[in-house]
Amino acid sequence: MSGPTSAPVVAVPEQASTDVRPSAGDQTPVGDRTPVGDQASAGTALAFDDAAIAYGRSTVLHSVHGTLHQGRTLALIGPNGAGKSTLIKAVLGLLPVSSGSITVLGRAPAAARREVAYVPQADTLDRDFPISVGQVVLMGRYRGIGWIRRPSRADRAAAQAALEAVGLADRSRDRFGLLSGGQRQRVLLARAIAAEPRLLLLDEPFNGVDVVSQEALLTALATLAGTGTATVVSTHDLALAQTVSDQVCLLNGRQIAFGPATRALAPDQLREAYGGAALEIGGASVIVTRT
Amino acid sequence: MIGADLFIAPFELPFMFRALIEILLLGAVSAGVGVLVMLRRLAFLTDVLTHAVFPGVVVGFMIGGTSGIVPGALVVAAVVAAGFTALASTRRISEDAAMAMLLTGSFAVGVVLVSRRESYTSDLTGFLFGRLLTVNTTDITVTAVTAAVAAAVLALARKELLLRAFDPEGARAAGYPVWLLDLLLNLVIALVVVAAVRAVGTVLVIALVVIPAAAARLVTGRLTAILAISVLLGPLCGWLGLVASYEASVNHDVRLAAGATVVLVLVAAYALAFAGSALRQFTGRARSQPSQPSQRSQSQRSQSPPDREASATSTVASGGA
Repeated sequence: MSGPTSAPVVAVPEQASTDVRPSAGDQTPVGDRTPVGDQASAGTALAFDDAAIAYGRSTVLHSVHGTLHQGRTLALIGPNGAGKSTLIKAVLGLLPVSSGSITVLGRAPAAARREVAYVPQADTLDRDFPISVGQVVLMGRYRGIGWIRRPSRADRAAAQAALEAVGLADRSRDRFGLLSGGQRQRVLLARAIAAEPRLLLLDEPFNGVDVVSQEALLTALATLAGTGTATVVSTHDLALAQTVSDQVCLLNGRQIAFGPATRALAPDQLREAYGGAALEIGGASVIVTRT
Repeated sequence: MIGADLFIAPFELPFMFRALIEILLLGAVSAGVGVLVMLRRLAFLTDVLTHAVFPGVVVGFMIGGTSGIVPGALVVAAVVAAGFTALASTRRISEDAAMAMLLTGSFAVGVVLVSRRESYTSDLTGFLFGRLLTVNTTDITVTAVTAAVAAAVLALARKELLLRAFDPEGARAAGYPVWLLDLLLNLVIALVVVAAVRAVGTVLVIALVVIPAAAARLVTGRLTAILAISVLLGPLCGWLGLVASYEASVNHDVRLAAGATVVLVLVAAYALAFAGSALRQFTGRARSQPSQPSQRSQSQRSQSPPDREASATSTVASGGA
């Protein structure tokens, strides 16, 4: 079975130094004297420096160390309870970093929220809620609109464009709860796209999603990466992690590996992360039987 | 012209006219707030507030007589709403436990206060069942101001309140102060509850808040339509309730309490909406539904991941070797 993904997703990595430039790109001197330090920090969307995260007094995740550049995708992999959601919450500034640090777009996590968008699992939202697809997507614009003011025509156009990007342009007037799980997940991604974030965080976006929706999600994510948006996606699906991401962070209460999928998902490390759920067959391959 | 007489003539009497204005205002604002109460599933909080303001009513009455009731209730309602927001946001205690504690604790304080001076109890029955027919111009002014404040707050913060109701975690992730939004809504609910208590009484006020939105939700799944129907239905039922109560009391010698009749009309409207939606569902089911997407994706989830992971990890392992 070949990967269920479309080609453009894989095409993103490989050239590390020719990152998408931030908007100030015209002013930087072109040529071989690219300022190393400045440019590198401007291109860094997310940096973990030996970060540990605790709920109250108990540390649930520690030793997270690594960097994600703009336009790149990081997959968070690990069994249930490994700390994937915890790490996402810490990047959002909803959980405190108890030691080390997390730097989001050059700032502390809570200070960067305006440029970060979060896509929750569609299943966590109430399906009976009387709200249309278009209204959900428009929520992505709220921060930009600010308190009190109404959405403008431009906001509505941006929301509609985001809905088109996930292939649901014609469902704008439908009630959110009537859509399938995969379609609702796409609507939530559209909401995040409408916010025009520089860093996108997705919590298990492929869980229980049908093939059509998965394709649509992957295509939209690839387009976003092309515009320089960095993406963090937590998933159970090792195959998807491999095809979708430039970097993989393998977790189980601590960071086990951080790097390109081919290195981070090596058999020894998978065994370490999944323990008894990692089955070895024929000496070379590791099959994860439970996630 | 009999119809017009029946529905309009009673309000030529000044006290009936005042009652009508009061119930139209209350019906509209309670129903508007009720839509958010429904979205946030805060019906129980509304009920808690109606009971928890009791000690405020008693103390207000002790200090300022009848005119002290609303200020007293308002202070206590604000304290309870703030206290509930604080308790619920600590996450050390569940929301319903917090509400149950506030309800019983506050109500008990009120009972203790009342039981010390028996003479008050008769005056306070008005608090329990309302005195819609005795509202004066000052009461109407207070209600109008309350309605204006509540409507303004809801209109100004509607985007954020909607986001918070739909996706609280998303609102938090977007950097919205969720506790502030909660406090805002809880205070608005408290304000409306106190305004409505005087007219329909603590026992019945929850009907004004909860029923119009619930009935509207049965009729449609569109938020703007729910709001419109709800805000029309509240005053309409208030008007019909007053007419029914007047007609029964004056022309048929059946004494119907105005507030309670309004609530009965609301319940009847809900029953109609319920019957309508059940009928629609029944006839809708007769026509076939095209597909069941959620079930399809369920079966997909249970089958495909192990396959993919097997192939993936084997490629990873051989790639790494």
